[in-house]
Amino acid sequence: MKLQLFAAALAATSLLATLPPAAAHGPTRQKISEKIEINAPPEKVWAVVSNFQDGGWIPVVAKTEGTGGNAPGAKRTLTLKNGATVEEEVAKFEPEKMTLMYRIDKVDVAVLPVTNYSSWLIVTPADDGKKSEVEWRGAFYRGYPNNDPPPELNDEAAVNAVTGLYKAGLESLKKQIEGGS
Amino acid sequence: MTFIGALALLTLLAPPALADEAFITSQPAETLSVVDLATRKVVASLAIPGKPAGIAVSPDGARAFVTAPDGKTLTILDAATRSVTHRVELGGGPLGVAVHPSGSPAYVADWYLHRIKAVDAASGTVTGEVAVGQSPSGLAVTPDGALLLSADRDSDAVSLIDTKTLTRLASIPVGARPFGVTIDAAGMRAYTANVASNDVSVIDLKARKVVARVKVGARPYAVALAQGRAFVTDQYDSTVTVFDTDTLKTLATIPVGDYPEGIAASRDGAFVYVACWEANTLEIIDAVTLKVVETIPVADGPRAFGAFIRQSGD
Repeated sequence: MKLQLFAAALAATSLLATLPPAAAHGPTRQKISEKIEINAPPEKVWAVVSNFQDGGWIPVVAKTEGTGGNAPGAKRTLTLKNGATVEEEVAKFEPEKMTLMYRIDKVDVAVLPVTNYSSWLIVTPADDGKKSEVEWRGAFYRGYPNNDPPPELNDEAAVNAVTGLYKAGLESLKKQIEGGS
Repeated sequence: MTFIGALALLTLLAPPALADEAFITSQPAETLSVVDLATRKVVASLAIPGKPAGIAVSPDGARAFVTAPDGKTLTILDAATRSVTHRVELGGGPLGVAVHPSGSPAYVADWYLHRIKAVDAASGTVTGEVAVGQSPSGLAVTPDGALLLSADRDSDAVSLIDTKTLTRLASIPVGARPFGVTIDAAGMRAYTANVASNDVSVIDLKARKVVARVKVGARPYAVALAQGRAFVTDQYDSTVTVFDTDTLKTLATIPVGDYPEGIAASRDGAFVYVACWEANTLEIIDAVTLKVVETIPVADGPRAFGAFIRQSGD
């Protein structure tokens, strides 16, 4: 089963490799949103999530390397604890709305079974500014661009993988900030 | 003057219809939102299963056609009563849809099987099909009904199809990954939004060739025409790029909600309507001042890919 999954992922990857990034998706883009309340003022939370050059609050991330700070066009490469890498780029940085939007430029579908992925991190005040709400939104297509995808690269697999990442990431963010580090 | 002639003249002189509607497909919400364009309010919401994306409304406003790529169906609706008359099983991946000016047939592009099917509007039966390029996306029919255009996304080309015989007459190379295609009111030119080359190809339909390419924002999706201007949704820039269709000069870059996608002009050309997939809005642009004048919340994930304005009431 493991081997099968890997083979399917490889097949999909080699197919993706022959097309420019804009080509590789089916007709239905997926959309998800996860939220968490954090017992800290929005400015403090925004300082952490808006720092594009440090993805350390995301539990699977071992190392962040990049250029350009938080400005649109800024790049980072996340090295995950399993050794895989994800290349990302800032699309929009709006401190007045406490909103950061970024995209994945390059990821193997065996690592995250998605293509054409965009993401938003939005901080809003809660409880008169004593607390914060963080929303993590995502837009993406599944990992397999053609009809009738294998189960590990279908819409459900993509949604489950990103949902899992967001839930774990927000929990970890909450712990890190409320823990005072 | 004959009585019929007088009637026709009266119709021409009548003020622009104020009761037109926008039929907005929301893909993740599996909903069709009907927006009254006079009051700018959602007046009806219909459940459409199968992740609806493409939309076409017949020129007389009688029927609406909605594709659902996940459900592999075309839903045909009585637009006035908001009731489903047919749910046509098509297989493959139906996405782009356009309707002949006479009201039938509807043409449906199959993203995966690389062909276009003709579906009779009244009976819902498939009456013919034609093979085109790879992953046909947007469709449009010339105002005289003679030609069907298909933006063949992964062939970087537009197919020209004779509607009478359903034969492919030509394939015109355009920019990279054309998605939406729009034909002007005179039937002279067509405009494709090229997702991967971030530009719009302008096609001379008589000469069957591209006469210009105009740079727009990132990942353009579709084009609307009004006031001698082209309005282009730039998905990745969250903007609408406006250029003059004569001089091809950029006139404005209008900020809208994230992931602007389907775009269409009002029949009188006064307004342009933009569906923003991530922001869950239908935004109204004044086509003269080039400002957003209203933002209407609609169901989650509006795409409205196609000619979504419905004439109702003149």
